Amino acid sequence: MDDNLLEVRNISVTFKNRYGTLKALDNLSLNVKKGEILGLVGESGAGKSMTGAAILGLIDPPGHMSSGEIWYKGKCINDAHEAIRGREISMIFQDPLMSLNPLRRIGDQLLETILTHMNVTKSEAIKRARKGLEEVGIDPNRLNSYPHTFSGGMRQRVVIALALAPEPSLIIADEPTTALDVSVQAQILDLLKNLCKERGTSIILVTHDMGVIAQTTDRVGVLYAGRLAEIGDTREVLTNPKHPYTKGLVDSTPRIDANSFYKELYQISGTMPKLDAMPNGCAFHPRCEFAIDKCSKETPQVFSDRAACWLLENEAIVE
Amino acid sequence: MSFVQAKDLTREYDLSDPFIVRTIAMRPKRILTAVDNVSFSIEKGTTYALVGESGSGKSTIAKMAVGLLKPTSGSLLVDGKNLNDPFLPKEEKLALRRRIQMVFQSPYASLNPRWKVGDIIAEPIKAFRLINDHASQINRVHELLEQVGLSTSDVNKFPHEFSGGQRQRISIARALSSEPEIIICDEPTSALDVSVQAQVLNLLKSLQKEYSLTYLFITHDLAVVSTMANKIGVLNQGKLVEEQTPENLFSNPKKAYTKMLLNSAPNINF
Repeated sequence: MDDNLLEVRNISVTFKNRYGTLKALDNLSLNVKKGEILGLVGESGAGKSMTGAAILGLIDPPGHMSSGEIWYKGKCINDAHEAIRGREISMIFQDPLMSLNPLRRIGDQLLETILTHMNVTKSEAIKRARKGLEEVGIDPNRLNSYPHTFSGGMRQRVVIALALAPEPSLIIADEPTTALDVSVQAQILDLLKNLCKERGTSIILVTHDMGVIAQTTDRVGVLYAGRLAEIGDTREVLTNPKHPYTKGLVDSTPRIDANSFYKELYQISGTMPKLDAMPNGCAFHPRCEFAIDKCSKETPQVFSDRAACWLLENEAIVE
Repeated sequence: MSFVQAKDLTREYDLSDPFIVRTIAMRPKRILTAVDNVSFSIEKGTTYALVGESGSGKSTIAKMAVGLLKPTSGSLLVDGKNLNDPFLPKEEKLALRRRIQMVFQSPYASLNPRWKVGDIIAEPIKAFRLINDHASQINRVHELLEQVGLSTSDVNKFPHEFSGGQRQRISIARALSSEPEIIICDEPTSALDVSVQAQVLNLLKSLQKEYSLTYLFITHDLAVVSTMANKIGVLNQGKLVEEQTPENLFSNPKKAYTKMLLNSAPNINF
């Protein structure tokens, strides 16, 4: 287990309101290996972004991490988020318009990041900032430009330069390309992939787009209603899904191939349960075609390090 | 002649400085051509998809098709009639409007938060005076809600009580309420999750079969287009660069721009 950069062990995030406690994340475990890209996919409200926030200790009150541990490089970082955040684990947010300060030149913002997290002189920091911009494909002479003079794709490149500047070992990218056009999206994902491969940086890529998952990630975790439904090698999970929810997600994604023209898409009926009305047992069983008696009574654990579904129970014993 | 026909459709926006500033600084006018000489035609009961990146003029065409924008030049004929024809009698204009409806991109922004769902859906019925007595109006609203897969008890709820997919169903019910023949769908699923997207796309398809609706489908997602469209037009910077059936477009794209779009579309196939 030494190649695990990050281990999330049974974390739960709860929110208290006047009606009771809501579990936004329920007993979630996953791990990120060195240099790999782990995708987190699920519908909105599944807890994808919450997982990223929990790792960085950025959950806003009244929410808090009520149980579980986060281990980073062999150390528990539950109470040491501030030392890690930004320098060791950095974050790329969804909307590049919102994550840059519109009143400050991008050079200042890059310098601030570098000077805060690294022990370097100012001239060295400027050198690094220029190099950082060059790496993401932006003319280093634009250090003195304001964010509004950049297009959406270029802004996201600046944000990537910012995230990479302190040379982190892990980047959490929360829907980094959702606001962008497909052609720009492809460029940004390629860039992120290549830069991280060169440096051996790991990425947690949060997205709802199955296509992005298929083309960028090494492993993927599928989240449903705050629980892990399935995790495993991306190709394996997408071509041979074990959990009925993953299967539904894969089948309902429109494909570009000759068989799909004019055909009806597969649809999962119903919607994800609200947090205050979670069904007993497996959260997916009311929508599941294959549900058995046990599904509505007990919550399944993750079988064979792969999927949390009672249908796999016997299979796991056989193996 | 085709049911919908766009001929040399052009829309320009004037981005110039005010006249006096321009004269003093001796600057010329700055004109942005958002849609540049676009021509296409749609047969009745089929789906025509316009794809392109942001800024390619997709939504401008949609707005011109429903009459929210006037074209600078060129024309868009529906069943041989032009919505922007100044000589079209008022009654005919109203009748034509009824036949063209629109489903907008964001179901969060396109439903009035202070109106009940029943009132939202009944508004076109009242505006076009299709049904005049109150009881039949309510019956019609119930019927529409069931058609789009919602329950009749939802009439008295407000939009915020629904999820994104359900809201888009309300938008579709509203569009259907005037019994239109053509529906303009401007990115109807880009704000929705994949599983919900599949539900909405299937709903649109089954409605098309039932009422032989014509769709002008606007999207940036080529995968969505491949399951929906009978014909695809690719827009780049206001110009229609390629027009093909999906089979041909995906197997044999002619233009470099189309190839680039196809290559960069995230696809779940390995």
